[in-house]
Amino acid sequence: MIKFHPSPQQITEFVVGSLTPAVSLLVSAHCDMCEQCQMRIESETESLAADMVLEIEESFDESAQFGDMLSQITQAPSSIESDARTSKETSSFKEKSVTIELDGRAFKLPRTLHRYIDKTGNWSSLVGKLWQAPVDLGNQGVANFIFMGSGGSVPEHTHRGTEYTLVIDGEFSDGLANYDTGDFIFMDGNKTHTPKSDTKEGCLVFSIVDQPLHFTSGLARLLNPFSHLFFR
Amino acid sequence: MLVGIPLEQSNSTIKPKECATEMSEYLVAVADARCKRSFSRVFNYFAPRLRSYALKQMGNEALAMELVQDTMSNVWQKAHLFNAEKGSPSTWIFTIARNIRFDMLRKLQNRKEDVCSDDLWPVLCEQTADLNEAPLDEQVTLEQIGYMFEALPVKQKAVIEAIYIDGKSQQEVANELSIPLGTVKSRTRLALQRLKGMLNDND
Repeated sequence: MIKFHPSPQQITEFVVGSLTPAVSLLVSAHCDMCEQCQMRIESETESLAADMVLEIEESFDESAQFGDMLSQITQAPSSIESDARTSKETSSFKEKSVTIELDGRAFKLPRTLHRYIDKTGNWSSLVGKLWQAPVDLGNQGVANFIFMGSGGSVPEHTHRGTEYTLVIDGEFSDGLANYDTGDFIFMDGNKTHTPKSDTKEGCLVFSIVDQPLHFTSGLARLLNPFSHLFFR
Repeated sequence: MLVGIPLEQSNSTIKPKECATEMSEYLVAVADARCKRSFSRVFNYFAPRLRSYALKQMGNEALAMELVQDTMSNVWQKAHLFNAEKGSPSTWIFTIARNIRFDMLRKLQNRKEDVCSDDLWPVLCEQTADLNEAPLDEQVTLEQIGYMFEALPVKQKAVIEAIYIDGKSQQEVANELSIPLGTVKSRTRLALQRLKGMLNDND
């Protein structure tokens, strides 16, 4: 069951469109999996739309402002035919890429992330049962799919910046809480945690960090001088 | 065709509830019959509202007008995608405007194709997916770091291991190995330099 959701402020900023694109991606993917947040988004959108409708200057002279915009717009044809063509062309593509694969297992991704399957690099082994595949977000930085095999663990770390994690498939715990498929997790510099999956199936997460992680114990401390190379 | 609504009716006197029903009917008429009169009602009601909303958000008259034009163009061309059962006309038009603004802002910041509004809010999602794939940087893995670590001279390795893996202080390491603190410091520095060098070669 999903227990961790975006905050009310994150929901509002998401609907306004002012949340950063990378975090928006995670909120959107969470909503694909969470009916409760879909409803929050819907009602927030309605209320912001209602606010927009109220925003009008009383002494507004329409004719002077909009000139021939109206006649320009209505010269264009309906897009119904070109849309039908486009969706025909892309439908075969859409059908085949809704999963990512690791070790013979296919994981179905939420709708929002489908377009990023082709932007996902190869899996590489981080340590032990931990696998990582980077996702290119253009100028927005790099996100990662991280797979924790059964018993696999990310070395204990804290954050200089922020870390957003969405559980795509499976369960894990980090010493602070237990997380399940669909959970939306936000971590900042105040928290130190050790993500670990104990279930047989392991756990796939999608994660975005804006600053390198800071490892706090074990072999992983050797990584700190170079952690910007791992988690960018 | 919808008739009986006087053209000179002032927009601001329409109450939101009845307005939603009216506007829905106009949008349906645009979708089914390409009715320009119905569209002009929708336009006259929403364009000024969109403009003040956009002006507040973008703080720039030209950009605000661009947003109004793009939004209303989409309403005209994609009216068939409006579904009254899913939400009110104002909610639909608001989401179109929000999406266009989101993409406009990214363009202004010179961001190429990265995260686009259709991924987040697929309100008009009949767009072709972007298949261009940017080359990915080579990733350094823990495994590689492990190899590099193994390649360090024995004395440097011992110091790095004690400090970074066992978490000992430089003074503790000096005591344990019975070497001066300065030597520990210089070995640490040399080892890190060496690792950095290896990482650069790796690129």
